[in-house]
Amino acid sequence: MDKKINLSQLADLMSQAGGMSKAASEQFVKNFFDIISQKVLTDGLVKVKGLGTFKLIQMEDRESVNVNTGERFMIEGHQKISFTPDVELKERVNKPFAAFETVEISAEQADKLAQMGKEPVAAESIVQDESQTVTAEPEKESANDAKPVVKEVTQRRGVRFLLKLIVWILSILLVLVIALYLFWPLIGNRVLERVERNIQIRDKQELVVPQGSPVNVQPADEQPVKEQPVKEIESAEVEQETAEPEIPEPVVTEPAVTEPVVTQPVIKPQTETGETKPAVTLDVRLNSKDAAKDLTEFTEADTVNFAMTGELTVHTLKKGETITRLALRYYGTKKLWPYIVKYNNIKDAGKLQEGARIRIPVLKAK
Amino acid sequence: MSADQAAEKVQTLMEVLEKIWQDGDSVSLSGFGVLEVKKKNERVSVNPTTGVRMLVPPKLVLTYKPSTILKDKLK
Repeated sequence: MDKKINLSQLADLMSQAGGMSKAASEQFVKNFFDIISQKVLTDGLVKVKGLGTFKLIQMEDRESVNVNTGERFMIEGHQKISFTPDVELKERVNKPFAAFETVEISAEQADKLAQMGKEPVAAESIVQDESQTVTAEPEKESANDAKPVVKEVTQRRGVRFLLKLIVWILSILLVLVIALYLFWPLIGNRVLERVERNIQIRDKQELVVPQGSPVNVQPADEQPVKEQPVKEIESAEVEQETAEPEIPEPVVTEPAVTEPVVTQPVIKPQTETGETKPAVTLDVRLNSKDAAKDLTEFTEADTVNFAMTGELTVHTLKKGETITRLALRYYGTKKLWPYIVKYNNIKDAGKLQEGARIRIPVLKAK
Repeated sequence: MSADQAAEKVQTLMEVLEKIWQDGDSVSLSGFGVLEVKKKNERVSVNPTTGVRMLVPPKLVLTYKPSTILKDKLK
C-alpha cells in the first residue's frame, strides 16, 4: 500500500511469480521498458496488450499569460508522451469505484453539490499534495471517501421522490376540487333536496308524535292515523279536498278500510271550521311546493310502472303510522305509497284512523 | 529467448504490475517514468449543447508520468 516500487522490487515480485531468477527478471523488466521508451521516440506509438498505449504527441506553439505579471509569452511547441491504459486494466484498477455511474442532476442540486464539494475538494488536494511527495494516493482511503457520496446520492433521490409524491397528491386534490366546482349544480341540488326533505320529515314526525290531534298540520302525503272526533276530521277532509285538488286519486265514496265516515252526522259548527280553515291552507301552502309536486309526480308515474298482483299482507294501522311509512316498510321506498292508496281505494289518506286494516298489494314491474 | 517465452514473461509482468496497482502502489522505473493509480474526484460536467448537468463519479485512473531523462530526449 502506497509504496513506490522500483526496478529491483519489481524484479523480486517477477521472480516470485514467474519462477525466474531475480537477475534475469530484472534484466527482462529493464529491457521491456527500454524498448517501450525507444519505440515511442522512434515510432511515436507503442501498444502493449494488457497495459495500454504510449503515444508521442506533438504540441503546437501557444500563447499564454504570466499569472503574476500579466505578461504574454509563448509556450514553444514540444512533444509529450501520453498514456492511455488498456480498457480491461482500466476497469480492474477502478474496481473499488465500479459501482458508481454517471447520473443526471438538476441545476439546484449541482449548485448545492458545488458548495458542498468545495471543502472536501480542498482537503483532498492537500492530501494529494502530501501523498505525491511521499507515495501514491491510498486506495482504501479513497474508497472510504466514496461512501458518503453514495449516501448523498441516495438521500437526494429520496428527497426527489418525496417531492414528486407531494406534487402528485396536490394535483389530484386540485382536480377533485375543480370537478366538484363544475358539477356542483348537479350534485348540490340533489343534496340540497335530500336535506330539505329530511328536515321536512323530521319536522312532521316531531309534530305527529307529541300532538296527535292537529289533523290540519299534516301535509297530505304524510297523514298519520289519528284518534280524533270525527267532526274535526270531517272538517279537515273538506278543507284538504278543497286545498289539494291535484290528487288524481280515484275518489270512491266508501273507503274499504277506513271508518265509515259517511254515517257520521255531519254537524259542523261554523266556528270550528272557521278556526281550522286558515291553519290548513297555511300548511298546505307551506308544504305545497314540495309535497304537492311529489304528489302529482308520484300519483301519475308510480301507479303506471308497477302492476298490483295479489295481496302481500294486511296491516293494521297503529298510532302515528302513515301510508308513506307503510310503503317505506313494505317496498323500501316512500315513493310507492300511491299503490297502497289505490289498492285500498282510500279516498283520503289523511282521514285514516288507528286500527284501520290496510291491504298491502304485491307489486310487479311492468 | 524465444518469442513464446518472451510473451509468457510479459504476461507474468502484467499480472505482477496489475497486482501492484490494485494494491494502490506505484511503479517507478528510472529512465522510463512513474506509473501510478490516482484518484479523480467526482465532478459535475455540463453538456455545452444541451445544458444537461451530469454528476461524474469519482474514479481511479492509472497515470503515467515520463521521467526527466526520457523527457529530455523529446523535442
